[in-house]
Amino acid sequence: MKQNNTHPHQASFRDPSGYMFHDGDVLRRAINPIYFKQYNALKDSAFFKTLIKNRLLIAHQETSVSEDQIVLTPEPIAFITNPYEWSFEQYKHAALHTLKIQKYALSKGFILKDASAYNVTFHKGSPIFIDTLSFDFYEQDTPWRAYKQFITHFFGPLVLASYHGTEIFKMLQSHIDGIPVKLISSLLPGKTKLSSTIFTNIHLLAKMESKHSEDYKAETKIAKLSFKAQNNIIDNLFDFIKKLSIKEETEWGDYYDKTNYNDAAFQGKKTLIEDWVTSLNPQRLIDIGGNDGTFARTVVHKVPHVIVTDIDSNAVAHNYKQAQQNKETNMLAFVCDVLQPAPGIGLNNTERNSLVERLQNYSPDVTMALALIHHITLSGNVPFDRSAQFFASFSKYLVIEFPTREDSWVTSLLVRKREFINHFDFYNQASFETGYQHYFDIEKKEVVPGTKRVLYLLKNKG
Amino acid sequence: MIFLYFDPGLGAMIVQAVVAAAAGVLLFSKGVMYKVKGFLGLLKQDDDTYDSIDLDEKDDADETK
Repeated sequence: MKQNNTHPHQASFRDPSGYMFHDGDVLRRAINPIYFKQYNALKDSAFFKTLIKNRLLIAHQETSVSEDQIVLTPEPIAFITNPYEWSFEQYKHAALHTLKIQKYALSKGFILKDASAYNVTFHKGSPIFIDTLSFDFYEQDTPWRAYKQFITHFFGPLVLASYHGTEIFKMLQSHIDGIPVKLISSLLPGKTKLSSTIFTNIHLLAKMESKHSEDYKAETKIAKLSFKAQNNIIDNLFDFIKKLSIKEETEWGDYYDKTNYNDAAFQGKKTLIEDWVTSLNPQRLIDIGGNDGTFARTVVHKVPHVIVTDIDSNAVAHNYKQAQQNKETNMLAFVCDVLQPAPGIGLNNTERNSLVERLQNYSPDVTMALALIHHITLSGNVPFDRSAQFFASFSKYLVIEFPTREDSWVTSLLVRKREFINHFDFYNQASFETGYQHYFDIEKKEVVPGTKRVLYLLKNKG
Repeated sequence: MIFLYFDPGLGAMIVQAVVAAAAGVLLFSKGVMYKVKGFLGLLKQDDDTYDSIDLDEKDDADETK
C-alpha cells in the first residue's frame, strides 16, 4: 500500500482498533493488530456477511492483509448526514437500527462496543451502520457497555423530541457525545417519571450516574447482567422507540394545497423543471428548500443521486417516508436551514464537516432553489449577491425560481415589513439578475405559466 | 478483557439490572396483552416503515448448506 498519497480521515481517531483514511480519492479503513482477533472472528463466523446482506452494515472489500495492518475498502456513501440533520422518523430508524444490530450481535456472541449516533447514516434510502470496527466479544453476564451512549445519543434525544419537537436534535451540535443524561432528565416533564421505561432508562440512570461519579479508582464492582436481562433491555427500548411519535408530524398538512397557483401552473412548473434538468443530464442533483421532494421527484428516475433538503423537519420526514414506500433508493432527505447551515464540530472543528464543506465535496451538477429566494431575501434580509455567493460555492448549474413582487407570498412578506417596506425596494428582477450575475451567467429565463414567478437557469462562471 | 476506550459510566453499568427488571415486567405484560388482543381481534396495524428487531436469517442458512 502506498503511504505517500494517504491522510487520515478527520473524524476517525477515537477508537484505537483502527482508522479511516483517504487513499487518493478512495476512503479506506485500516485495522490495527489490537483488533485482528475480533476482526477475524467476525469475518470467519459470517457475521459481517449476514449484516451486509441484510443491509444493516455497509459492505466492504478486504484490500490488503499484512502483519501490522489489514486494509478494508468500504462501499462509498454519496453524502453523509449527521444526527442533527435528521427528521424524527429518520432519527427513530437510526436508533432502531442500532438496537437491531446489538440484538443480532448478542445472539452470535458479540456486542456493539459503542452506540454513537454517528455510526449510522442514510444510504440508498435506509439507515446503514458504517463503523465496521464497533463490534467486540460478548462476555458472559456483563452489562452493555454502550448502554449509556445509546441513551445520550438516541433514546434521550428521541424522548425529548417527542415532547419538545425536533429542534431538540440541534442540541447534538453542541454535544457531540450525546446530550448529558442529567440534562435530558431535567428537560423532561415530571409525568415521564410515571413511565417505567423513561423512569428507569433516564431519571434513574441520571441519579445513579451522579451517585457514582466520584468513583475515581474504579473500585466499585460492576454488577452482573444476564444475557436474558440484556435482551429485555434491548427489546423494551426497541418497542418503546418504535411507538414514539411527535405532534408536529401528525399535523403535516399538504403544503402544496396552500400554494398560490393552480394545478395547471403547478404542472407547468414541473414540466419546465423536468425539461431543463434532463437536458443537463446531471449525475448528482440537490434541491434546497425542496419541501417533501415533489419537484425533485419529476427527475428522480433520471438522475442517479438526488438530495432534497428543507428547513421543515416534517416535510423531510414525509419525503423520507415516500422515498421508502416508492423504493427510491437514490433519494436522500435531510433537514437544513440555509441561513444557518450545520457548522463543523468536534476536534479542530473538523470531526464532523460543515454542511458547506460537504456540499462542496458532493459537488452537485444541478442545484435547485424553488420558491426559496424570497424567504432568504425578505425573511433573512440576505442581499442577492450574498445568497448568489452561497449557491456558487458548490453549484455548477442553478435552477432558481424568482417570485416577483406581484406574487402573493412576496406581497405578504413585504407587507409584514410595515414602515420598513421601502428598505426592500431592491427586491425586483433587475437587482436579482445583477446580484446573481456576479457569480453566474443566465442561460435560460422563463415565466412559469399562470404565475407571477420567473424560472432561471444559471451557470456558474467559476 | 474487552478493550475499554471510553468510560461506559459506572452508574450506567449498575442501573442496567433495574432497567432490565422493569423491562422484563413490561415485556411480559405486553406479551399477555398481545395474546388477549389477538384473541379478541383487536390488533392494530403498525404504520412505521422500519421492520422488526429480529433479523431473518433463513436465506443465509440456505446458502451455507
